[in-house]
Amino acid sequence: MKQLISLEVNGDTHEIAVEADATLLSVLRDNLGLIGAKRGCDSGGCGCCTVHVDGKAVYSCMMYALSAQGQEIVTIEGLGTEGKLDPVQDTFVKEGAVQCGYCTCGMIMTAKQLLHDDPHPDEHAIRHGIAGNLCRCTGYHKIVEAIKTAADN
Amino acid sequence: MALVKLKEFCIPESPGQVSACAAKYGDNALILGGGSFIHGLEARGLLSEVEALIDIRKLGLAGMAATGEGVRIGAMTTFAELEKLPELASAAWLGALKDALTYPPMQIKNVATVGGCIAASCPFFDIPTAFLALDAKLTVSGAGAKREIGLAELFAGLFENSLEPGELITEVRLAKPAGRAASAFIKLEGTANDLAIVNAAVRISVDAAGVCQEVRIALGGGVGDSVVRSASAEKLLLGQKLSADLIQHAAEAVGQDISPMEDHRATAAYRLAMAKVITRRALNQALSRLN
Ligand SMILES: Cc1cc2nc3c(=O)[nH]c(=O)nc-3n(C[C@H](O)[C@H](O)[C@H](O)COP(=O)(O)OP(=O)(O)OC[C@H]3O[C@@H](n4cnc5c(N)ncnc54)[C@H](O)[C@@H]3O)c2cc1C
Ligand code: FES
Ligand code: FES
Repeated sequence: MKQLISLEVNGDTHEIAVEADATLLSVLRDNLGLIGAKRGCDSGGCGCCTVHVDGKAVYSCMMYALSAQGQEIVTIEGLGTEGKLDPVQDTFVKEGAVQCGYCTCGMIMTAKQLLHDDPHPDEHAIRHGIAGNLCRCTGYHKIVEAIKTAADN
Repeated sequence: MALVKLKEFCIPESPGQVSACAAKYGDNALILGGGSFIHGLEARGLLSEVEALIDIRKLGLAGMAATGEGVRIGAMTTFAELEKLPELASAAWLGALKDALTYPPMQIKNVATVGGCIAASCPFFDIPTAFLALDAKLTVSGAGAKREIGLAELFAGLFENSLEPGELITEVRLAKPAGRAASAFIKLEGTANDLAIVNAAVRISVDAAGVCQEVRIALGGGVGDSVVRSASAEKLLLGQKLSADLIQHAAEAVGQDISPMEDHRATAAYRLAMAKVITRRALNQALSRLN
């Protein structure tokens, strides 16, 4: 049975009818059309569904939409401003830290919290910080470099 | 996370509302903490009858406090919040908890709660192994009544706990051990985002002459249905002057108290061998923190 909930996503309030067991990921993608967060494993194993809930990176596939009520949700679509990428997004592009792109949105959301908590992480801290995000293309090297550059800028 | 029989998603704001929802659905009501192991339980076919979720984040169960006697941690405190406890950085006796908290990925630390990691009764988690070595005591409350239990009493088999319907873990308490004490934890993992192949946590108190006054050795990760203490290893160390040989001997003895399993992560023989190795390393790590 569906119920009406209110979610705060990227600064906008949305009233949405959802099943009680709908995950935040499915509501973002299927109800709100925010397809930046990807559905990879749907079970906490890959990180490509990472979004921020009250400023913290979480796997949106592991959170019920009903539990996310009353909290501020930010997806990759909420970073940057019209026509201007967020600095971390920009660095990923410039450093070529993207191949197929499937992991990228989640990786950037994780990198955002990593850099927020530790503005000057060393390589070990970066690798440890993104351990919950898999990338099957890049071999991580360029991702780590991009996060380093974003920190330096 | 899909629950085919789900009828109600309760977000109680008082213990009375928890009881009301629990009374209505009995065994088919499931407490929801951070939600990070709901998939794990569902994928094992354990949640097919769940009709109600009781999301307990509005009950005010998050928060922690340290006193001279030890540490109290509210059940809804997340791993990320717990990591910020100032005592973790300074108190050698809490070393095992500090070590264990380094392993889960950021996205899990941000949601996983202390109560959820214990109640899940999953021997493959790390924080419960650390809690067992730290002699954690739990406050459990249900309709009206409150009780205190030791962590080991909570575990009732693989993914089974001894809580009654509607009962919650509300607080975890770690008492500061007497004397010079230190603890340490080590996890052996296949990949950075995987559960433990084996893990070990130890807490040890030693007097000025180097004699072991008290010791706790806990193991988890595919060594039994629940995390376990190794009484055999503890017995060898207690009251003895510690030496490298004795530590090696005690680490070997953990084999008597565990039942290593074989699965996609490792063979039973590998688990047995590595349980001994990481116990020895954890003992040495704890001892190095005493100085
Ligand atoms: C990708 C991934 C990586 C992980 N890595 C690690 C790791 O490296 N180390 C590690 O230790 N763990 C790891 N974990 C496991 C993690 O610790 C647990 O998923 C988490 O602790 C469960 O807590 P929760 O609050 O999310 O519980 P939930 O998922 O909400 O609940 C789990 C169980 O506990 C019950 N429950 C929850 N809270 C209470 C309460 N207060 N009282 C009574 N019952 C309650 C629920 O009913 C349910 O049965 C990992 C998990 C995932 C998904
Ligand atoms: S889709 Fe959420 S972690 Fe893989
Ligand atoms: S760029 Fe393809 S998965 Fe990372």
